[in-house]
Amino acid sequence: MKTKKRKIMGWTFVIPASIMIVIFNFVPMIQSFILSLKRGSGTNMIFTGFSNYKRMFQDKIFKMTLSNTFIYLILEVAIMLVMAMFLASLLNDKRLKGKWFFRLAIFLPCTTSLVSYSIIFRSLFSVDGFINTILTNLHLIASPINWLGNTWTARIVIVLALLWRWTGYNMIFFLAALQNIDSSIYEAAVVDGANAFQKFTKITIPMLRPTILLTAIMSTNGTLQLFDESMNITNGGPANTSMTISHYIYNLSFAGNPNFGYASAISYVVFILVAILAFIQMKVGDEK
Amino acid sequence: MSKRKFVYFGKYVFLILVAIISIFPMYWMIVSGTNKSVDVIAGKILPGNYLMENLKSLLDTTVLSQAMWNSIRNAVVSMVLNVFVCSLAGYGFEKFHDKYKDKIMSILLLSMMVPTAATVIPLFRMFGKMGLLNTTVGCILPTVSTAFMIFMFRQAAKSFPDEIIEAARIDGVGEWGIYFKMFLPIMKSTYAAAAIVSFMNAWNSYMWPLIVLQNENSKTMPILVSGLTARYTIDYGSMMLAVTISTIPMLIIFFVLQKNFVEGITGSVKS
Amino acid sequence: MKKKILAAILTAAMTIGMVGCGSTSSSDNGNNSASNTEASSNELTVWCWDATFNIPAMEEAEKIYQKDHPDVNVNVVETSWEDIQTKLTTAATSGQTDTLPDIILMNDTALLNNVKNYPDLFADLSDSGIDFSKFASYKTAIGTVDGKNYNVPFDSGVTALYIRTDVIGEAGYSIDDFTDITWSKFIELGEDVLAKTGKPLLSAQAGGPDLLIAMLRSAGDSMFDEDGNPNFAGNDVVAEAVEDYETMVDKGILVEVNDWDQYIGTINNGTVASVINGCWITSTIQAQEDQSGDWGVTTMPRLDNAPNATNYSNNGGAGWMVMNDSPNKDLAIDFLKNTFASSTELYDTILPTTGAVATYLPAAESDAYSQENEFFGGDKIYEKFANYGAEVPAITLGQYWEEAKSALGTALTQIQQGQDIQEALKEADDTVSFAMSE
Repeated sequence: MKTKKRKIMGWTFVIPASIMIVIFNFVPMIQSFILSLKRGSGTNMIFTGFSNYKRMFQDKIFKMTLSNTFIYLILEVAIMLVMAMFLASLLNDKRLKGKWFFRLAIFLPCTTSLVSYSIIFRSLFSVDGFINTILTNLHLIASPINWLGNTWTARIVIVLALLWRWTGYNMIFFLAALQNIDSSIYEAAVVDGANAFQKFTKITIPMLRPTILLTAIMSTNGTLQLFDESMNITNGGPANTSMTISHYIYNLSFAGNPNFGYASAISYVVFILVAILAFIQMKVGDEK
Repeated sequence: MSKRKFVYFGKYVFLILVAIISIFPMYWMIVSGTNKSVDVIAGKILPGNYLMENLKSLLDTTVLSQAMWNSIRNAVVSMVLNVFVCSLAGYGFEKFHDKYKDKIMSILLLSMMVPTAATVIPLFRMFGKMGLLNTTVGCILPTVSTAFMIFMFRQAAKSFPDEIIEAARIDGVGEWGIYFKMFLPIMKSTYAAAAIVSFMNAWNSYMWPLIVLQNENSKTMPILVSGLTARYTIDYGSMMLAVTISTIPMLIIFFVLQKNFVEGITGSVKS
Repeated sequence: MKKKILAAILTAAMTIGMVGCGSTSSSDNGNNSASNTEASSNELTVWCWDATFNIPAMEEAEKIYQKDHPDVNVNVVETSWEDIQTKLTTAATSGQTDTLPDIILMNDTALLNNVKNYPDLFADLSDSGIDFSKFASYKTAIGTVDGKNYNVPFDSGVTALYIRTDVIGEAGYSIDDFTDITWSKFIELGEDVLAKTGKPLLSAQAGGPDLLIAMLRSAGDSMFDEDGNPNFAGNDVVAEAVEDYETMVDKGILVEVNDWDQYIGTINNGTVASVINGCWITSTIQAQEDQSGDWGVTTMPRLDNAPNATNYSNNGGAGWMVMNDSPNKDLAIDFLKNTFASSTELYDTILPTTGAVATYLPAAESDAYSQENEFFGGDKIYEKFANYGAEVPAITLGQYWEEAKSALGTALTQIQQGQDIQEALKEADDTVSFAMSE
C-alpha cells in the first residue's frame, strides 16, 4: 500500500516537467525532422526524401563548419572543465579571505553582454590592439599579429573567448557540488596523512563525478551548438574558416534565402553527433 | 607554517590575476558608458564625463525603463517556475528512480540537442494555434521545463543521503514534506546555482522573445540593445551604457545568491 | 518557516506572471494593430530600425498625414534590420502573417529575395496611384519585380568620396584633383599622399566586399547576369575591380580592418584621409566634431577600362513596403502615397534633423538641399548627393544577393591569401550556384 502510494508520488514529481518538454521540445523536433525531408522555400515546400541529407556531402561550407566546430570542441571543453574545477576547489577554501569577491569576479564574464564583450574582444585582438601591444613590448612577437585575419589565430581567439566567458559559469556548478561533500571525509583523509593533491584526486574528483558528467554533456552540447562567438567576434571569417555549424544553420534560415529543409537536416546531424557523444559520456560517467 | 603561508600567497596571486582578466572587459564596458562615442571608438579606457548625455539619449530614443521591467518580470517568473518544476522532477528522477524513469531521463536529455534555429518555426506555429503569440505567457512557457535543469537537480540529488529520506518516512513525514523541509533547505547551494543559471538564461534569451513579442512596450533588454547596434551611426557610448544597465540585475542576483554557497551537508545532518 | 518563504515567493511569482500577462493582453486588445487579423483600425504599425534616422522620418510623416486625417496614428516599433528579417521569415514560413505589422522598411538588397520567396506577402502598389517616375530610376528598378511595384523608395545610399582636405592639402592637392577621376589616378594620388603625409586614403572591412560591389555598380555591373546567375568568373569588370582593390591593399593605400567598429575608428581617429561609402555615413563622420571644416565631398573614382564606367554608385538604402494581409492595407497605401511619395515638405523637414537623403526627385529642388554645411567647409553636400543620385546606373540586385556577397567576400580573402583571381571567382560562382540549387 505504502509503496504504491510512493510510486504515485514519484511519478507526480516527474510528470509535469516531462509533459512540458514533450510538448515544447519533442513535438517541434518531430515537425522539424519532417521539414528536413522537404525542399523549397517559403510556404510551398515539397517532400523529397533524404535529398537534403545527400546535399551535405557536396556542401563545402558545411564540411568546413563541421570541422571548425570539432576543433573548438577538442580545444576547449577539457581545458575549461579542468580550470573550472580547479578554481572551484580553490574558492571552496574556508580560510580564504574575500571569497565572495573572487567568486563574483570569476563569474562576471558570463554575465557580460554579448554586444559589449564582442566589441571588446575584437578591439583587444585587433592589429593595433592591446594584446599585440603587450606581446610586442614583451618581445614575444616581432611584428603585430592580425589575429582575426588568419584562420588559426581567429580560431584561437574564439577558443580564448569561450574559455574566458564560460569557465566561471561552469565553476558555479562545481562550487555548488563541493558544498554537498561531507567535510568529515576530508578531515578523515587529513588524519590518514593525505596531502592536498591526494585529497583533490582521491576525494574531490570522485565526489564531483555527477557534476563532471553534467558539465561535460552541457559543454559538449553548447560547443556543438556554438553560435554567438562565431557570429559576433569573427563573423565566420576569414573566408568561413572560423564559422560554426549553428552559425551556418542560422545563415541558411534567416540571412539570405531561407532554406529551412536543409537547415533542419543539418540540425539533425548536430543532434545525432551530440547524442552520440552524450551517450558515451553517460556510459563512462553515470555509474550507479 | 611558512610553507603554508607561501602556498596561500601563491593562491592569492593566482586568483587576483584571474580576477583581473575576468573583470577587465567589464570595467571597459562600464567606463565606455561614461564616454562619448568617438572616444569609445578611439579606445579610451578612463572614465569620462559623458554619462548623463548618454543616459539622456538612451531615455529619449528607447523604452529603456519599460524594457528593464519587462526583462526583470519575465526573468524572475521564468526562474522561479523553472527551478521549482525542474527541481521536483530532478528529485523525483533520482530518489524514486526505476528503470522507466532512468530511460525517460535519458530521452528528455535529447530535447536540448537540436539547434534552436530548426525548432523555432514549428514552435511558433504551435503557439500561433494556441493563441499565445504576443503574450507574456507565450514568452515564458517554453522556458519553464528544461532538460538541463532537471538533469542538474538529478545529478545534485545523488549527493543527498537516502538515510535522511528513510528516517523522515519512519517519522511519518509525507513525501511533499520531505521535499520541502529536507531536500530544499539542505540543497540550497544547488538551488542557488540553479537560480543564477536560470535567471541568466532567461535574461539573455533573444530569439524566442524576439519573434513572440510584437509590441514596442513588451520589448526586452537584449532586443532593445540590438536596436541600438543597428543604427547607421552607432552611439557607442550610450550603447555601452545600455549593456551596463542590463548587466546589473544579473550581478544582483548572483551577489545575493552566492551567499548560499556555504557548507551544505555537514556531518551533523547525517547523524 | 522555509516552506512559508517558498510559498510566498511562488505566490508572488504567479501573481506577477498573471499581472504580466493580464497587462500585456489587455494592451494588445487596446491597440491591436500588431495583430492584423482583427478588424481594421486607425493605427498603422511600422517596423523600422534607426531612432536617429528613419524612425523620426516616419514620425514626421505621421504629423503630416494627421493634418488631413487627425484620427490616424502611427505606432513605430524599433526593430533592427536583421530582426525584421527574422520575424518576417518566421511569420511567413509558419503562415502566421497576422503577427506582422502594416508597413515595414525593407533593405533594398533583400527585397527581391523576400518578394520571390513570399509572393503574396507584400502589397502590389502598381495601381495605387503613386507616381513611381518621380523617384530616382535606379531606386524604382529595385522595387519593381516582374513589372509590379512593391515599395515606396526611401533613403538614398548614393556613394561619394569624403576626403580630408587638410591632409591632401599637406600633400599639395585640392579636392578638384580627386573629382571625376579614374581608379588608376586615385591610386597614383594615393601613393603620393601616403608618401608625403603617412596617411592611407581608404579603409575597408576585411572580407567585406561593400567597396568592391560599389565599384561594380558604378559601371552598371552586378554580381548577377541578366538571367540571375552569378557573374564573377570571366567577368572583366569584376577582375578589374578586384585588381584595383588588391593594388591598393598591396601599396598600403587601403588599410583593412576586421570589423565595423574599427572601420569607424579609422575614420574618426584620423587614420585615413578619405572614405568611400553611401551618404548615410555622413553623420558618422560628423560625430568627430574636432574635424569640422576638414572634410570635403566629391564623386568616387570610376573604373578605367569597364565600358559603362561612371563616377556614381550606391551602397545601402531602403524602402517602405505594405503587408498584403494587413486589414489596414488601403490606409497604409494612402498614408505612404500622401507622405513619402508626394510630400516635399516631409523631405525638407527630415533632411536637417536626420540627414536622410531622399530619392524622391522633386525634393532635391527645395531649399533644404541647398543648405551649406559647415562641417564640410560650407559645401552644399545634400545637393551633391541628390545630383549624384540621378546618375547612378540601374542594376538588377538579384534574389541571391546575400549569398553572392558572402561568396565574393570569401573570394577576396582567398585572393589575398595568394589564390589565383579567376580560380577564386570560379569558386564563388560555384558557391552561389550551390545555394541557388536548393
